[in-house]
Amino acid sequence: MAITMAQGLMLAIFAAIAGLDSWLEVLYIFRPIISCTIAGLILGDLQLGIIAGGLTELAFAGLTPAGGTQPPNPAVCGIMTVVIAHTTSVSPATAIGLSLPFAMLMQYILLMFYSIFSVFMPMMDKAAQEADTRKFSRIPYLIMAIVTISFFVVIFLSAYAAQTPMAALVKAMPVWLIHGFELAGGALPAVGFAMLLKVLLRVEYTPYLLLGFVVASFINFSNVLPAAVIGIVFAMIEFFRDKKNKKLQDQIDEMKENGVSGGEEDGI
Amino acid sequence: MASDVKQDDTDKKQGKLTSHDITMLGLRSSLLQSAFSYERMQAGGWAWSQVPIWKKIFGKDKKGLSEAMQDNMEFINTSPPLVPILMGLLTSLEEEHVNRQTIRGLKNGLFGPMAGIGDAIYWFTIMPIIGGIAASFASKGNILGPIIFFLVYLGVFLCRIPFAHLGYNLGVKAIDVIQDNSEIIARVATIMGLTVIGALISSYVGLSLKVKIGSVSLQKDFLDKIFPNILPLAFTFFLYWMLKKKVSPIVLIAIVFVLCIVCSFFGIM
Repeated sequence: MAITMAQGLMLAIFAAIAGLDSWLEVLYIFRPIISCTIAGLILGDLQLGIIAGGLTELAFAGLTPAGGTQPPNPAVCGIMTVVIAHTTSVSPATAIGLSLPFAMLMQYILLMFYSIFSVFMPMMDKAAQEADTRKFSRIPYLIMAIVTISFFVVIFLSAYAAQTPMAALVKAMPVWLIHGFELAGGALPAVGFAMLLKVLLRVEYTPYLLLGFVVASFINFSNVLPAAVIGIVFAMIEFFRDKKNKKLQDQIDEMKENGVSGGEEDGI
Repeated sequence: MASDVKQDDTDKKQGKLTSHDITMLGLRSSLLQSAFSYERMQAGGWAWSQVPIWKKIFGKDKKGLSEAMQDNMEFINTSPPLVPILMGLLTSLEEEHVNRQTIRGLKNGLFGPMAGIGDAIYWFTIMPIIGGIAASFASKGNILGPIIFFLVYLGVFLCRIPFAHLGYNLGVKAIDVIQDNSEIIARVATIMGLTVIGALISSYVGLSLKVKIGSVSLQKDFLDKIFPNILPLAFTFFLYWMLKKKVSPIVLIAIVFVLCIVCSFFGIM
């Protein structure tokens, strides 16, 4: 189904808000589960938005900005997944794959901004030196305006202006290619999880990973909550043991310090 | 340290700041990344968030305000949801006009560990757990998914207010709490996060083979008999191994696409 001018503008306005949120990381409405749902609401297909939100959220589970790497933009990916699924009637999983180029475009725009905005820092320095708070606040306002406007423009162009070529492109794609994109949409979460593992996994922690995996593989319950509870159980056990060990270690250190003059060899 | 000079414990919290000011500081901490750039990361937004509270503290003392602003334009990169604690803590020191060098040292000593704790808690624990639970509702079309997600993160946002008060009230005492516990908290969060990631791999990485050897389906009659979801686990570990080999995530995404499209073309998946 085609997107009307009004819907295009509403999507762009939402993108501007969600984009600013992804810049500041405050309300997390930029995460796909929210951005897809809102995009679905705007396009009059809430159900599609929610389902696409669930799938895209998982694809982005590990693609986090933690540790300084900027991932493909989740807000843009979420909105475009719903837009593509809505306009071309492909499945949401296929649409994730097709929306990724747009998310990467935004990623590169943001990376460029990170470099360019360094130019503004000396101006803030100067305002700080003069204790001129009005001049000082102009720079963050300007930066946020630039970010907001670029999200607006990118989504308006991608969602509204590019829908006809997009539909033609999808129509021209053979079945195996569409199916390939669908498979990729399902396999993408593995990239995110691998990235989480890269940060978190150490040999001593592998038992917990395997535990979670086994629990979810054999419990016939379509929710990760049981695994989360088991995780909390082990975390609590470790927490109290760590606390106790730390206390013991402190006592040992104290005894060592007090007993330097001798006698500690006897163990009394 | 020169901070001892101003240790007037009796009128410690009777400064110019009210509880409302601290609440506003907590809300304004949302602006931490408003002026993000590679050169100094969050510095601009970090300073800007605190400008109103410094204006209150320094009043007509332009020199004091200028020094505070300049000091805080130095590089900083910390955890956005936890930053109100740090802001509250440093505000309590600014209010007592503790020596500038001390404040600066504390800021530089604390933002790194706080970033570590914040990432461990927010990105690696809360995000997989809440995202995973919400997505499992949402992928069946249940509106509860996005609602749960939104409410939890609304809570995360509102926590900024008590966090700012916590930092402000604890003051210097918070330093020991943060430094003593940062390692344990990060460890515990990692354990919870990894358990959930294990479950997520099994539940949400969709890979299954279509190939049949004779009448034997490779997936149903072979792989599933060995261990359910062994393929997603193996594939995730393959990607993990590639990441360890310094392959960039973007290349991995490309590999996933090429692999899936090739498998689709040959009818393997």
